[in-house]
Amino acid sequence: MADQTVIKPDLQFVNRVIAAGGDTVKKCYQCDTCSVVCNPTPDSKPFPRKEMLQAQWGLKEVVQDPDIWLCHQCSDCTVYCPRGAKPGEVMNALRKLCIEEYSAPQVLAKMVGDSRYLPMLLAFPVVLLLAALGAIGHLHLPAGPIAYHKLFPTLMVDFLFVPAFFFAVVVLGRGVLRYWGDLNSSNPWKVRVEGNLVGDLVATLKDIVLHNRFRLCETTYSRSTNHLVLFLGFIFLALVTSWGFLNEWVFHHESPYAIYEPIKLLAILGTAGLLYGIYNIIQQRQANAEKAGFGGYYDWLLVYVIFAVGASGLLSWLFRLMGIHILAYPTYFLHLVSVFFLFFYAPYTKMAHMVYRTVAMLYARMSGRGF
Amino acid sequence: MEKKYGVYLCKGCGIGECIDFESLAKVIKKEGKIQFVKEHDILCSPEARAMVLEDIKPEGEGINSLVIAACSPRVKYEELDFPNVLVERCNIREMVAWTQEPNNEHTQALAEDYLRMYCARVKKSELPEPYQSECDKTILVIGGGAAGLSAALEAANGGYDVVLVEKQAELGGYGAKLHRQTPSSYPFTTLQEPTVFKKIKEVQGHPKIRVFTNAQIEKIDGQPGQLDTTLTVNGSEETIRVGAVVVAAGWRPYDATKLTKLGYGLSKDVITNLEMEDLARQGKIVRPSDGKPANRVAFIQCAGSRDPEHLPYCSYFCCLASLKQALYVRQQNPDALAYILYKDIRTPGQTELFYKEAQSDPGVMLTKAEIEGIALGGDGRLQISAKDTLLGEQVLLEADLVVLATGLVPVTNDEPVLNLGYRQGPGFPEIEPYQGFADSNFICFPYETRRTGVYAAGAVHQAMTIPMAMNDGAGAACKAIQAVEHVAAGMAVHPRAWDETFPDPFMQRCTSCKRCTEECPFGAIEEDEKGTPFYKINRCRRCGTCMGACPERIVSFKDFSVDIIGSMLKSLDVPELEDEEAEDAPFRIIGLICENDAMPALDAVGLHKLRLDPRVRFIPLRCLGSFNMVWVSDALSRGVDGMILLGCKFGDDYQCHFAKGSELCDYRLGKLSETLDKLGLESDRVKQYQIAHSDFDKLPQIVNDFVKRILEIGPNPFKEF
Repeated sequence: MADQTVIKPDLQFVNRVIAAGGDTVKKCYQCDTCSVVCNPTPDSKPFPRKEMLQAQWGLKEVVQDPDIWLCHQCSDCTVYCPRGAKPGEVMNALRKLCIEEYSAPQVLAKMVGDSRYLPMLLAFPVVLLLAALGAIGHLHLPAGPIAYHKLFPTLMVDFLFVPAFFFAVVVLGRGVLRYWGDLNSSNPWKVRVEGNLVGDLVATLKDIVLHNRFRLCETTYSRSTNHLVLFLGFIFLALVTSWGFLNEWVFHHESPYAIYEPIKLLAILGTAGLLYGIYNIIQQRQANAEKAGFGGYYDWLLVYVIFAVGASGLLSWLFRLMGIHILAYPTYFLHLVSVFFLFFYAPYTKMAHMVYRTVAMLYARMSGRGF
Repeated sequence: MEKKYGVYLCKGCGIGECIDFESLAKVIKKEGKIQFVKEHDILCSPEARAMVLEDIKPEGEGINSLVIAACSPRVKYEELDFPNVLVERCNIREMVAWTQEPNNEHTQALAEDYLRMYCARVKKSELPEPYQSECDKTILVIGGGAAGLSAALEAANGGYDVVLVEKQAELGGYGAKLHRQTPSSYPFTTLQEPTVFKKIKEVQGHPKIRVFTNAQIEKIDGQPGQLDTTLTVNGSEETIRVGAVVVAAGWRPYDATKLTKLGYGLSKDVITNLEMEDLARQGKIVRPSDGKPANRVAFIQCAGSRDPEHLPYCSYFCCLASLKQALYVRQQNPDALAYILYKDIRTPGQTELFYKEAQSDPGVMLTKAEIEGIALGGDGRLQISAKDTLLGEQVLLEADLVVLATGLVPVTNDEPVLNLGYRQGPGFPEIEPYQGFADSNFICFPYETRRTGVYAAGAVHQAMTIPMAMNDGAGAACKAIQAVEHVAAGMAVHPRAWDETFPDPFMQRCTSCKRCTEECPFGAIEEDEKGTPFYKINRCRRCGTCMGACPERIVSFKDFSVDIIGSMLKSLDVPELEDEEAEDAPFRIIGLICENDAMPALDAVGLHKLRLDPRVRFIPLRCLGSFNMVWVSDALSRGVDGMILLGCKFGDDYQCHFAKGSELCDYRLGKLSETLDKLGLESDRVKQYQIAHSDFDKLPQIVNDFVKRILEIGPNPFKEF
């Protein structure tokens, strides 16, 4: 038959899903409660039921299914599942495997997903930054009023972080291009290439910025608010970073900035958003653990890295204002380590969701999947 | 023995506030001609009971024939039952106090008519005497599988001699041919050794059980308590007498050669679940075609079951069997995969836990699927095409081995098994809704078959699993014990299990018309060489169908006969109609009701305090099958204006206690309406309705509409005669 799908079950893939946090996948008995209670799912071929079965049968193609990214893990499915199969957690595990599949080198992705490698991954920025300090003879606390460029000259920070940023962009870009190709070749929903790419992208980004899909969640509705605040915090801090870059190299306006300067106010606002968002995410995850699932190492890694970035940034600022050298400089060092970690490993951590989800949502919109 | 009559009137439960007892007592004394009348505020109280017990002492008043006018005979049975005396219960609570306007003339007339009828009745009824016959209490168990072994042990442990007959050389049935059995106790996760072996040992060591293997039932003659059974054991004949039978003859697998659509016969690598069991028992699950290991095994569920082209029913055990065999595959090789393609997974009871356990194995993969076909691929692998799967609309799945989860067919489907020497035939009757199983009234009377004293257990009864069959065997054994004990005591076996009466025909007037032998639902009436009917009383269930069938009206029970009901009808007060157009003109209508379904429904009408037309008088019958047409002329000649009959719903799927009483009554009424028309009487005056136990809410409407119709037709023209 022409449109017959050949089923090739793969036991290894089932075991990978289980290891990635989808350990409840085998409990699903296909009653379809999950798809019925799911608000974000399209009406035709709804998720997460079909993904549960594909995962049970070890059908690897499921990582190319855009629907795994249309899921925002509201966990309504997990709450209502009569067998405790936690479809929300399984979808999360599939997303992890998707990121792993498309990021290069895959070894690094596997290390990021495995807690045993965390010390090694952390050691990299620590050693790198210490080596850099050693190279310029800055392995001691600078004297005088606290200014962090005295420890890490701005040029050196840019020298380390701009390549790290571009490394992440390139890895993510490559992955996403491959992903886009697979989306179009392996799914039944063909993208209308003649469609309005720019228009659809703008509409998709609008959905993302306003968290329109995320707001359809019921059980964990507060997550969308927390995530939005965190998301805006990130945007503000990204603006601050770019602004600071311009100040440094174009306007030659040296940091540190006074508290009343607009850039500082924006930074404070961004940091507040980031910390408020991540703190509430942690609270909410713990409060809902029983009904919605607690998540796995992969989820908590990103949560704590973001928390570390925000907290170390805030403390660096406070210690500087208080003039406590002995705390300020080491805290700043940790801040740089956590920021580097966040940037450099972004293609492999859950952070990559921002790119894959955007692409999948764009694909869904262009292919008429009800988006 | 001289009968001394007494009437006891109860004023409790609102009866006293509804009826004038003084004039009621007058009617009893004057028209009922019973002078001993007592009333009590609560007749079911210990004080009242003491009073009645005093009255019935032979040295005292010596009352021995009682009418108790109180509540429905379905309640307060023990409080209002008295030893060694005749008790007739007249229901003036549900039928009068709870369904009528209190204290008006119609209500009073109704209560008085009930007392007239029951005074007439008590005079005709007699104290039952049990039917005494020789009774062998040995229990015959046919079939030595899970159900039969369990039935034999249950009966033997209860102190009864048991004869266990097994067709095969070994006991155990299919339960002994398993590699492993699905778990049957909490936590339902681990496969176990087949459980029949323990039972086989117990049976073989039991002093009260005689086991015959390689044995067949050639013939069973007689009746419960006296069933003469001829066996052939290893070729030689043997005759034994038993009292009751448990049929646990089991099942055979559905013929897989009919499943060509599922690839059976296409390749040696398409096997049935029983063949899979053999492979596992031999220790290696390999492809029968080339002996290579089977690493991708597909199980196809409902192979022949739940399929209109094959078996319409669910065979119940196959889902569990396939889940179990999937674990065989996985335990043999941790890299092997087992695919289960199902319509629905059905794991009865707590075996749901085993389903969960098997499903949690990453290598056991399940999906709903409609199998389109199975083909042989170029590499010798089997290719399964399926549609409507949850994995895709049209899918192709490759497997090394395909296991068809074939279902079961009860052996009673194509063999009589019992070989009864009954006029009705050697086996069980074919009852369409039971689809070849020897089931009967599963709601009220589990294990019972249409042959009295013969009980079905295990897979001949319903499709079931081994633990269920073991429970079933024990249950059927208990019913068999009940049967022999009731026969020994001279009581009906069931459903009238308290009943000591029995049909006692006045044979001199029998014309050998054979209507009774034709109509008896339980084959209790045989014919001798001359064609004269005779009863095998122990097969009889006391429904009275023969009494209704007999044109000579010669069949009577001690407390139920054509004459008794006829006398009740003739005792009624039928007033003349001064103004027949008046809304409350005292028309008189008789209701004959089935005491198993319609009577409880009417009691429920009372319980809900719904209103019934006061012009209808209800008389319960054992079954509408006992309806004799002469009652219509009895009533109409008396001046009664109409007769309503309330019986069970027709058809095999309705659970009439006596199989088809209501339908027989309907058939008789069909003949009657011609006669009525000839007499110039409207056939609408006599009408039958089908009522289920739960239809109480519809009853007032049905009864009141019927009364309305009779008012339209007008009074019975015979009234003035």
